[in-house]
Amino acid sequence: MNLSGILVMAHPENLPAVVAELDALPGVEVHLQDPVGRLVAVLEAESVRAEIDGLRRIKTVPGVLMAEMVFHYFEDDDESLSELPPEIAALPGLDAQACQ
Amino acid sequence: MTFNRREFLKTAVAGAAAGTMSLPLTRMAEAAARELEKGWQWDKSVCRFCGTGCGILVATKGGRIVATKGDPDAPVNRGLNCVKGYFNGKIIYGADRLTQPLLRMTGGKFDKKGKFQPVSWEQALDIMEEKMRWALKEKGPHGISIFGSGQYTIHEGYVASKLMKAGFRSNNLDPNARHCMASAVVGFMQTFGIDEPQGNYDDIEYTDTAVLWGANMAEMHPILWSRITNRRLTHDRMRVVNLTVYGNMSSDIADTEIVFAPNADLAIQNYIAREIVNRNAVDWDFVKKHTVFATGPYDIGYGFRPKNADKYASAAEMEIYKNEQVRVLDRYEAIAQRRQPGEAVPQKNAATPMKDWAIGFEDFKKALEPYTLDFVAEIAKGDPDEPMDEFKAKLKQLADYYCDRNRKVVSYWTMGFNQHQRGTWVNEQAYMNHLLTGRQSMPGNGAFSLTGQPSACGTAREVGTFAHRLPADMVVMNPKHRAVAEKIWKLPAGTINPQMGSHFVKIMRDLEDGQILFSWTQVNNPWQNTANASHWIKAAREMDNFIVVADAYPSVSAKVADLILPAAMINEKWGAYGNAERRTQVWRQQVQPPGQARPDIWMMLELSKRFKLKDVWGAQKIPGLEGGLPDVLPGAAAMGYTPESTLYEVLFATPENRKVKWPDPIAKGHPNITAELLKDGWFPEKAMFEEYRQFGSGHAHDLAPFDVYHHDKVRGLKWPVVQKNGKWVETPWRNNEQYDPYVQKGLGIDFYGNNGNALVMGDLDKPGDPANKIDISHKAKIYFRPYASPVERPDANYDLWLCTGRVLEHWHSGTMTRRVPELHRAVPNAVCWINEKDAAAKGLKRNDLVWVESRRGKVKVRLETGGRNRVPRGLVYVPWFDESVLINKVTLDTTCPLSKETDYKKCAVKLYRA
Repeated sequence: MNLSGILVMAHPENLPAVVAELDALPGVEVHLQDPVGRLVAVLEAESVRAEIDGLRRIKTVPGVLMAEMVFHYFEDDDESLSELPPEIAALPGLDAQACQ
Repeated sequence: MTFNRREFLKTAVAGAAAGTMSLPLTRMAEAAARELEKGWQWDKSVCRFCGTGCGILVATKGGRIVATKGDPDAPVNRGLNCVKGYFNGKIIYGADRLTQPLLRMTGGKFDKKGKFQPVSWEQALDIMEEKMRWALKEKGPHGISIFGSGQYTIHEGYVASKLMKAGFRSNNLDPNARHCMASAVVGFMQTFGIDEPQGNYDDIEYTDTAVLWGANMAEMHPILWSRITNRRLTHDRMRVVNLTVYGNMSSDIADTEIVFAPNADLAIQNYIAREIVNRNAVDWDFVKKHTVFATGPYDIGYGFRPKNADKYASAAEMEIYKNEQVRVLDRYEAIAQRRQPGEAVPQKNAATPMKDWAIGFEDFKKALEPYTLDFVAEIAKGDPDEPMDEFKAKLKQLADYYCDRNRKVVSYWTMGFNQHQRGTWVNEQAYMNHLLTGRQSMPGNGAFSLTGQPSACGTAREVGTFAHRLPADMVVMNPKHRAVAEKIWKLPAGTINPQMGSHFVKIMRDLEDGQILFSWTQVNNPWQNTANASHWIKAAREMDNFIVVADAYPSVSAKVADLILPAAMINEKWGAYGNAERRTQVWRQQVQPPGQARPDIWMMLELSKRFKLKDVWGAQKIPGLEGGLPDVLPGAAAMGYTPESTLYEVLFATPENRKVKWPDPIAKGHPNITAELLKDGWFPEKAMFEEYRQFGSGHAHDLAPFDVYHHDKVRGLKWPVVQKNGKWVETPWRNNEQYDPYVQKGLGIDFYGNNGNALVMGDLDKPGDPANKIDISHKAKIYFRPYASPVERPDANYDLWLCTGRVLEHWHSGTMTRRVPELHRAVPNAVCWINEKDAAAKGLKRNDLVWVESRRGKVKVRLETGGRNRVPRGLVYVPWFDESVLINKVTLDTTCPLSKETDYKKCAVKLYRA
């Protein structure tokens, strides 16, 4: 499992709308916010695509000025490490076994 | 995963993130964060990726990294990470991590055509020793080479440099930073007499204007970009200009986007200078006190093979390579260089491009005359569909900013200027416009060369892992510099080879020629990163040579190698990097490397045990050096060495260095695999760092002691770092009396790098009487450099410009980032960005598979017509991170003749359906 803590900034007057849009995104929850316009969203990635896609979607929400990852937790993450780009998995003269 | 655990984790992560950013937390979030992190050990570290040098914190538990976060105490990034930096903890856990040495074998013996089989370290070192001895016997010190890196730690780079230059007496050590920052370095050395930026990142928070010259900071230096964005949003006067050959993400926040034609940067900067002069915007007080005007030859070639190029090149390639001997000037060059259109100019200064001399202001002004708005706009307009008057208005706006005395300006650039066939010139021009207007070495005012790699500054440039270099900006060609190095390194006089070695591209050409027989690659991917790659892949695979590649993952270079060595990565060894703003930052080893993977330092130290002084310090033949290298064994004996002493004892585990013991309290319980494997009781990384410091101390390159950087509260320090009242104090702005301890009292601004230097006075075409010299101590040079057209332009056969570069999600050749599934999925393969109209005219559309072909080679790639980049008609853009789209088969190996840095940004291609 991958969980990221993401700092999002918006103008204070847009904050309620931004929070609503973020909460509506799959895998995203707004956990904390402050009146200056900063909030922390938590992005959960069960599938490997969701983590990056999630950040991209957050960045394009209207009213979001900035969204950057702050904290990345992956202690229980076994699954995602076994994926290889296909052309790496099929190297001539150098097979996956020899690497380990 | 139970519902409760999941909710707990999310609350904890939110709490941890909020805590990092000093947001108010709920009690529950705070408690959850604390609970989550029980049993974790946090330690400071540095991002593995770009030259920004963000600080990160790494959490380990049970011998694994389990979490990372942006370091809130790091002045560079203040807790933020961009998407690559975010994955620092995961890049070491890719599934195909190399964990054993691999040698190509058949029937149990080395065979260049064989398949890779695992071997022991003992066997790997055995064959390295055998092949190095063979190469040295056949060709002398010139027979061996190391491809070094701007991603080396400072400790690694220093050990490599000492091993090659003091041990093997070979100068064939050159880093991939040659492909990255060499033009910037030569620009600094020529202008200021000393390397690296005067300013620091805080300039962003002081300035009114950020001008980006061919640098897509939004994708390539995202954290700095977030600081610029913040400044733009919070400071009314702030303006951002993005000069680029294609519309990109940096244009989103820019006030002005200027799409220009390849090489037109040379013309645009002269236009600005002409405006500054003609509008009386010159800061004469500054110019008179702190600068001299200078120029140099224009007929300097293009960095191609100086002779016998036809031996290795096809007839089509020779159409371009012949320019190395004679250049036929086009109309624009003729006007820009005060010659006749169609004039055939022999390139007489191809071997002496660095020649320079002083000129008077009147000559400088005269040279700028042709660069009017009309002339420059005609050369420079990059988008055929943009109306000329709109383009001119933008150029004029840019000039207005530079001419406005009340406006602070910072200019930024990276690869667009450096990877340029006139890269040194274009760097010097950036300083020209800042020096003319008195905007250098002050908060918010300065031309700032951004660095691409995490330690091109800290290692490659400061340590000097280049073919011509010694530490602290010194060069092998200078006898005084060699004497300094020989003294610190305790070598007999005459040990160091005074002849410049082969630079990165030349090492490849020497392999092709059979002049170099042994090559060792460390921390980079030469067979993916070097232009005209088909030549070099063939040389590695088919010539009788021995190619060693040390890497963490199987890269393209590993695949062309004969021996692969599994390397430890960041956080699996002690290390230090120096970022673009001269900030040296360190990390401890956090976890053990997997399997048999070992730090590069350990590999070099083990190898050094196998060579004795008698093997390397006798007389040596060096091609081109009359008399070769002297026998220094008698000198060595006088110093107490014997011919049987090993390089390990003489260069590394010296009596001095052995005093630096392992274990060391500064380690705070962290391991050190290098020290543990050597079992010698000394701390190699710390000992070598302390030895290295001696070079810079007192010479304006001062570093603090090792332990100071490792102090809990320190987040790197910007050199020169000197002691004041018992504290170690960094230098935020160099050459400025207010901040720089090396400035002579009373001068205010002091460009002390040029102290002791002098220039012969001359005119625009040549130097004058050699006796007529002017002392340029304390001064910087304002160079006049002319416009020059790209050596290969689109024509009827190859009708498009090809520009290459990067995308946000992938670092360099993707060996690390493509192993992070999230980043790989984000941008799985390289695409070719093309203008929709160009595609339609060729009967093509988005996602079509095409061949992109030049005179040198071709690759297959999918087309992209939308997305983050908007290319003008006539140009295509392909990033180089994807080894299945090896775009460097297509690019041209033209280099800046001064810096030897390749121009990856402009060559001619054709495109057709695959």
